[in-house]
Amino acid sequence: MPGLVKKMIDAIVLERSKGNVVIANSTRTKLLLKGIDPLKYTPTTEDDAAIIAKVRTAALDFGVRLS
Amino acid sequence: MSIQTAYSSQASPAEAVADVKKQLGSEPLKLLLFFASTQYDPTVLAKAVNDAFPGTPHLGCTTAGEITSGLMLEKSLVVMAFGTDALADVNIQLVLEPANPAAVMQALMNFEQHFGEPIAALDMDRYVGLVLVDGMGGAEETLMEGLGDATDVLFVGGSAGDDLAFKATWVFSGGLAHSNAAVLAILRPTGRFGFIKTQSFITLPKKLVATQVDEPNRRVLEFDGKPAAVAYAEALSVSVADASKRFMRNPVGLMAGDEPFVRSPQRFDGNAMVFYCNVKEGMELSLLESRDIVEDTTKAIEAKQKELGTFSAIVNFNCILRTLELKAAGQMDAYGKVFAGVPTIGFSTYGEEFLGHINQTATMLVFAR
Repeated sequence: MPGLVKKMIDAIVLERSKGNVVIANSTRTKLLLKGIDPLKYTPTTEDDAAIIAKVRTAALDFGVRLS
Repeated sequence: MSIQTAYSSQASPAEAVADVKKQLGSEPLKLLLFFASTQYDPTVLAKAVNDAFPGTPHLGCTTAGEITSGLMLEKSLVVMAFGTDALADVNIQLVLEPANPAAVMQALMNFEQHFGEPIAALDMDRYVGLVLVDGMGGAEETLMEGLGDATDVLFVGGSAGDDLAFKATWVFSGGLAHSNAAVLAILRPTGRFGFIKTQSFITLPKKLVATQVDEPNRRVLEFDGKPAAVAYAEALSVSVADASKRFMRNPVGLMAGDEPFVRSPQRFDGNAMVFYCNVKEGMELSLLESRDIVEDTTKAIEAKQKELGTFSAIVNFNCILRTLELKAAGQMDAYGKVFAGVPTIGFSTYGEEFLGHINQTATMLVFAR
């Protein structure tokens, strides 16, 4: 299923920021610093198991539960 | 009294501390922040500050040069005193092993206990964090990631220096000097506050992707599948020998939109490149080129003043590489004057902290009236 990485990133940003734009931006920057560039992933990006695992780890770091 | 600054270039720790104490007067303080040259014995200085300001929460670190309103100093002590009207609350935590996530977590739990709410719930519009960390331990990335994972409160700060000796740096807390440590503070200012992050570079079109790294040692082995030194030299269209002379002028940036998070090359290690902060495998980095630091910093301050109003104080964490560039360009006085008229302290750092660990940047905490 393409686009899973973007969905996961969006979920992390939404959960963490609760709609606060400043926190959303800082969360995206924190992801970038963890080696996950949110701008690289679109709804059509092919899923990559290694990236998915990396994003799951980031979610755990942030205390965000991904469904 | 709000926020006041003082500095001293007296020769001994006792004399320097007595000098700044005299300048500050005797009003009660909520917090004392100080930065000092390693010409002062760190242990003696820590005790002298503790003795001179009994009962006042304080934190500080050693430097590679000090900054105060209008002046770039060396072999000095600079202090910022926060009056009881400037801060509603403050708590300071010492982290003795900043590379140990459990130690960072313990500090965060202590903050929770003090402020009476979960660290994840602290309001970033009301609270701000300061971080001072050993500049030789290489623990900054772990520390900043731990803080950023746990809280939205923004921690700004710098890595301690030792006057370019690169032997040992120190942070100060509770009357003691510590190496391999970090000291964290969370402040609740009574007025408005904000941040400046300025790095005085333009982004060049050329990009380098780190394809093989030795992350714990901040080494990049390959960019774009080629030996890192070769790929970096090719990006600059110069020989590998000449590329090593371009590190300060042409570092690389991890781009968050248009905003670079600068990674500065330290040296070639064979065909690998050692950086002053980490580069993760897969990171796409843009080649940067330096611009006028004084002009860029002035613009950054003016822009923030338009947003926040008149500043009441600035704490400036200015990369030592910027300071060296300013020295080489004969711009030290001009840079100091950028901060004239606003109570300012700062220091030349061995790394800057802002969301993560970065280089060749000035990160500033600014307070508004």
